[in-house]
Amino acid sequence: MELLEQISENLQNGFDEKVAALTKDAVEKQIHPKEILQNGLIAGMNVVSKKFKNHDIFLPDVLLAARAMNSAMEVLKPLLIKEGIPIRGKVVIGSVKDDLHDIGKNLVAILLKGAGFEVIDLGNDVPAEKFISTAMEENAHVIGMSALLTTTMPVMKKVVDLAKDEGLYGRVRIIVGGAPVSKEYALEIGADAYSYDGANAVETVESFFPVNS
Amino acid sequence: MRSIVDFAPDDVILDRAAILGSQGIPGDADLTDNFERIYSEAIDLYQELAQPAGIVSGITISRFEEVFRGEGRNEPANPVEDIFRRSGYLALFAVTLGAVLSSRVTELFNNGDYASGYMLDSVSSFAADKLTDLAAAYLKLELTDKDPAASSWRVLGYSPGYCGWHISGQKKLFEVLRPDETGITLNESCLMSPIKTVSGVLIAGPGEIHEFVNSYPFCDTCRAKSCIGRMRNL
Repeated sequence: MELLEQISENLQNGFDEKVAALTKDAVEKQIHPKEILQNGLIAGMNVVSKKFKNHDIFLPDVLLAARAMNSAMEVLKPLLIKEGIPIRGKVVIGSVKDDLHDIGKNLVAILLKGAGFEVIDLGNDVPAEKFISTAMEENAHVIGMSALLTTTMPVMKKVVDLAKDEGLYGRVRIIVGGAPVSKEYALEIGADAYSYDGANAVETVESFFPVNS
Repeated sequence: MRSIVDFAPDDVILDRAAILGSQGIPGDADLTDNFERIYSEAIDLYQELAQPAGIVSGITISRFEEVFRGEGRNEPANPVEDIFRRSGYLALFAVTLGAVLSSRVTELFNNGDYASGYMLDSVSSFAADKLTDLAAAYLKLELTDKDPAASSWRVLGYSPGYCGWHISGQKKLFEVLRPDETGITLNESCLMSPIKTVSGVLIAGPGEIHEFVNSYPFCDTCRAKSCIGRMRNL
């Protein structure tokens, strides 16, 4: 089996150490990092996404694949940066101020990384200003916010308002999620999108970017 | 009455179909070997690390009115208010699986073992919900001991953050319940620690008091819809 196919297959099976080893192997064999990324790793994740959508596999399987993707990216990322190859997109993510719930946000971060995005995870209890300043410093494409409490949801609006004040609105897409958050709330505060779960968040963020950009 | 209740991890029946159902997995799904391994490891970890405990403390209707009112942020119309006013007995409660299990979930995520972290979190969330049922069963036994007529009652738990009871209600509830001796605390954001903790009120009375039509405005955005199953089982 061709090396890139092996990478893809092992990634689909969630064998992280094997995927990292095969990726190193591919680099040593002078396969271009972009080709490894596109035809090995992302190709594998695309199969995983398709199987997940068809309910052939479930979230734990996707998380295993995401871990394998991350282990390979540890190998590839320095080379991609060195070659000036743009990553898929940069997402600043966090649970909003006064909200210490982070499992859902962590899942979204893991799945986004697994899909090839660069994720800057600000953790939980993140002030509105921090989302904005980080997005500006890092030239991020997307801000993702999570809230699990109705009492902390208003911070999301504050971030949207600050994005308007700082001229980021429209340039940086804003996506919100969490148990009490809804599509209607996202619309009401002026966020670009609402996602109901991790897989949907990845699809939504992917929709912000043209294919293969 | 005010009782500290110790449970054993085995007291919670880990219903595989229900746990997988909470992850959106149908009962007849064909699962991968990886999935089965992770599930089985999560069950073992739960049995090893869970330290289930709780507190149940009786409260009068008039005192509970004040607790329920909290910071005055409840939905104007909500089912809990109608239910507790018709109750035979009320008790505040908090149940937890303990800090060790919650810490292990965080540790697994921090170590990059996302799938295992997610699975243990899922098993623990299910178990924490079931602890409420155990606390309800405990209360029913206590009430029946005192008055055999209570054997026909149904005891169900209701929590802030659900059914129109605003999450900020946790503050007043904790002020009155004082569950510190079980290791359960509440922070400014109304987040309980350990994470796998449930608190609220146990409402005891004839089964019909728990029946309501789930067409309140907030029912539209509710994803749990657990009231349907609860009412079906009355």
